[in-house]
Amino acid sequence: MKKIRITEKTFATTAVVGSILIVIMLLANTYWAYIESVSSTNQAVSAVSAFYLKSMADRRSKTITNLIENNFDYMEKAVSVIDDEKIENQEDLRAAIGRMKKLLSLNRFALVDEDNIVYTQYTTYTGGSRHPFLAQDTMSEKMMISTVYVYGSSKELCLAIPIDRYFMGKKFKACFVQIDINDIVNLLAFDDQESTNFALYSQNGGNISETDLGPLIGKQNIIEATKGTVSEEEWNAFCNDFASEKGGTLNFTVDGVVETLCYEPVKDTGWELVVMIRESVIQYHIQEISDKSLQTNRAQIIFLLVIVTLFSGILFVMFKQVAKEQLDEEKENSKVLKTMANTDSMTGVRNKHAYMEAESQLNSKIQEGTMENIALVACDINGLKYVNDTKGHAAGDQLIKEASSLICDVFKHGSVYRTGGDEFVVLLQGKGYDIRLETIEAFNKITEENIKNNSTVVSIGYSTLMPSDEQLHDVFERADQMMYERKKELKRMGAKTREFADENNENT
Amino acid sequence: MLGKYRIYIHKLMILALTFAAACVCSGFSSGKTNDEELDSVVDFVHELDDYVPKKERYNFYFTYKIVHPWWDAVALGMEDAQKKYLEKGIVITYEYMAPKAASEEDQRKRLAAAEHGNYDVIGVDVADAKTITPVLDKMVDSGYKVMTFSSSDAEDGCKRIAYVGNTHNYKDGADLTEELCQKLGYKGKIAILVGSPGAPCHEERAQGAKDTIAKYENMEIVAVEYDMDSIENAYDLAKQILKEHPDVDGFVCCNMSNPVGTARAVTELGSNAVIVGMDHDHEALNYLKDGVIYCLGVQDCYSIGFDTLQVAVKIADGNVPGDLFPEKTNETTTIIYQEDAPAMLEVLYGDALQ
Repeated sequence: MKKIRITEKTFATTAVVGSILIVIMLLANTYWAYIESVSSTNQAVSAVSAFYLKSMADRRSKTITNLIENNFDYMEKAVSVIDDEKIENQEDLRAAIGRMKKLLSLNRFALVDEDNIVYTQYTTYTGGSRHPFLAQDTMSEKMMISTVYVYGSSKELCLAIPIDRYFMGKKFKACFVQIDINDIVNLLAFDDQESTNFALYSQNGGNISETDLGPLIGKQNIIEATKGTVSEEEWNAFCNDFASEKGGTLNFTVDGVVETLCYEPVKDTGWELVVMIRESVIQYHIQEISDKSLQTNRAQIIFLLVIVTLFSGILFVMFKQVAKEQLDEEKENSKVLKTMANTDSMTGVRNKHAYMEAESQLNSKIQEGTMENIALVACDINGLKYVNDTKGHAAGDQLIKEASSLICDVFKHGSVYRTGGDEFVVLLQGKGYDIRLETIEAFNKITEENIKNNSTVVSIGYSTLMPSDEQLHDVFERADQMMYERKKELKRMGAKTREFADENNENT
Repeated sequence: MLGKYRIYIHKLMILALTFAAACVCSGFSSGKTNDEELDSVVDFVHELDDYVPKKERYNFYFTYKIVHPWWDAVALGMEDAQKKYLEKGIVITYEYMAPKAASEEDQRKRLAAAEHGNYDVIGVDVADAKTITPVLDKMVDSGYKVMTFSSSDAEDGCKRIAYVGNTHNYKDGADLTEELCQKLGYKGKIAILVGSPGAPCHEERAQGAKDTIAKYENMEIVAVEYDMDSIENAYDLAKQILKEHPDVDGFVCCNMSNPVGTARAVTELGSNAVIVGMDHDHEALNYLKDGVIYCLGVQDCYSIGFDTLQVAVKIADGNVPGDLFPEKTNETTTIIYQEDAPAMLEVLYGDALQ
């Protein structure tokens, strides 16, 4: 199996691409949730509209039914109470009717005798032509409900019951109440914000309540007003529902606004209670909640983007910092390694490897003819073997260190290399080259002094680059030759040499 | 800058279109009676005048010609006034009675009975001026406070205190007939239907009709019949006239039942006779809407009722005609046409019954 090497770059690329993908997915997911939320809101609006209106129409319809039932009960009770009272004349009857009317909060309460004379609290009148239910010669046994159109003044709901009582020696055949439809409208007036409209209609669509049902229908006949706003099939179904006293809903659009109306029959009256709401109204209310949710959603997206951006920035800076530190560390390590490779661990001066590198570079220059003045000083420590043999290697090492220090101290303007156990090379360029003679003279003087003091003695020989030299080694050769000559000279002055050590060893 | 003016122009165009639409919707372009004008045909908004009644309780008796929707409308005006007095703390009770069929005899009996009741004022819609006027005079002489109201006053010189109602029955009859003559091009045969013989309002209208027709030499009256304020009678009479005079060109109907019965007969027999008539009967208005009746003279019954009660209170307090009220309180009659019928039906009966 082939093994893939995961580099830092690969890792970083994978991390960046992965992060971008995650961010894109998060954003896409949030956007999808936003779209879904809007769509769900619209669906909810439609559902809520229908449900809300159905419930409202149902409740209001029952309110009217309860009102009717209560009034029938009241009439029965009122007649029963009047029957128990002592009614001797018309004044007694009017007073009794007035008491019942007040007690039961009846709008118009009247009794009718067998000659169709109607008795109310203040008036007595012949009512045969005024009250439709009196048009029949004999009253039905059932309770009767009818809508009365009172010659332009108002529309009223008439509830009548047959009775069989005698007052003032006359037979009374009926009792009725009339409820002003405006009172019913006030009873149903449930929406102070006028965002919901309602109206009562007769079976042919005529507006009984005189209330506005939105901008399109207003107070018009609802069947005529809705014609053309829905399909013919829907409209026919709507008309049939009205005619057969059924409930239902109808949706139509006016100026791009969806209107929803719900109609519910009012039991026994032949009326339809219609409640209408503009979906925009519900949408407006739900929109507030939805907007808050969407606003939170948007804030989340922005927050996410800011966090991701900040996090990415911080990561980038950190990554850059780590990379820089790593690079610096590598450079430092490289430098240390290089230093370690080119430095003599005992003396701290450059080692033979460094000398060879320098020699190589200088040789290139010499061969190119760009090499300017250079002098090479070959150095050799006198008596190292003797010290090693007599005083041990530690003393020998100490001698090497002292020799190195001596060379470095004198040849301050030169590059010092330890090229062997007791051998050093000093390269003099620039100022070091210019003052080479004085420096060499000073070194030799110190060396000679050290002989007398039995201190460190270093033999040196030097040479400068000659035009005929092809490489630095040519210069070294001459300096080395000179160093040996100097070593002999110092030996004559009393300095210890290798030979001296060999002799001592033999004697020992 | 140009864009700004363009917005203004758009706004102006929208305003102009809206105004045009509003004009069309409100019937501005029709040039005929609209809802606002119909409100003046029947004045439903009334307030009591500044007169302060002297008593806190009043009891009245009113009797009228016949149980009929026309007087039901008068009753509604009375009830409105009664409620408004009640709001001021003045209790008014009254009886408002009529026979099933018009009868001066029945009226005399009712008046005789009323004399035994404790009424502040007795109001009469005179069934027959000739026979009832002496009765009223006698009652006044006996100390009863008597007034006449609604459709018919007593004969001139009657001692009744005041009259509230239509004072221009002759003119109403003449105006309706003039409309008919104009429609027929001032030539043709005309039949006149009247209500009850002796009923002043009917007789005066009939006289107005006769005098108008007499003005045009090419117009001729072929029949004058009385339906006794019965739709069924009017129907039978109209049928009979149409059979006897198939070429009759028009009918003048002087009361509320006349036009209904006549329209039924004309429709049934397929006649092209033009009908003009009186009052606001529901069926008559539907015939007007359908074009069977050409025009109707509608009286302001509501105001008649309202004003009758106000005048009755003043009479009960011992006042006589003068600054407080006139001897004859006139009420208006408006002629309405086919295009006015739907709105009138809506105003009076509600469209659910249409």
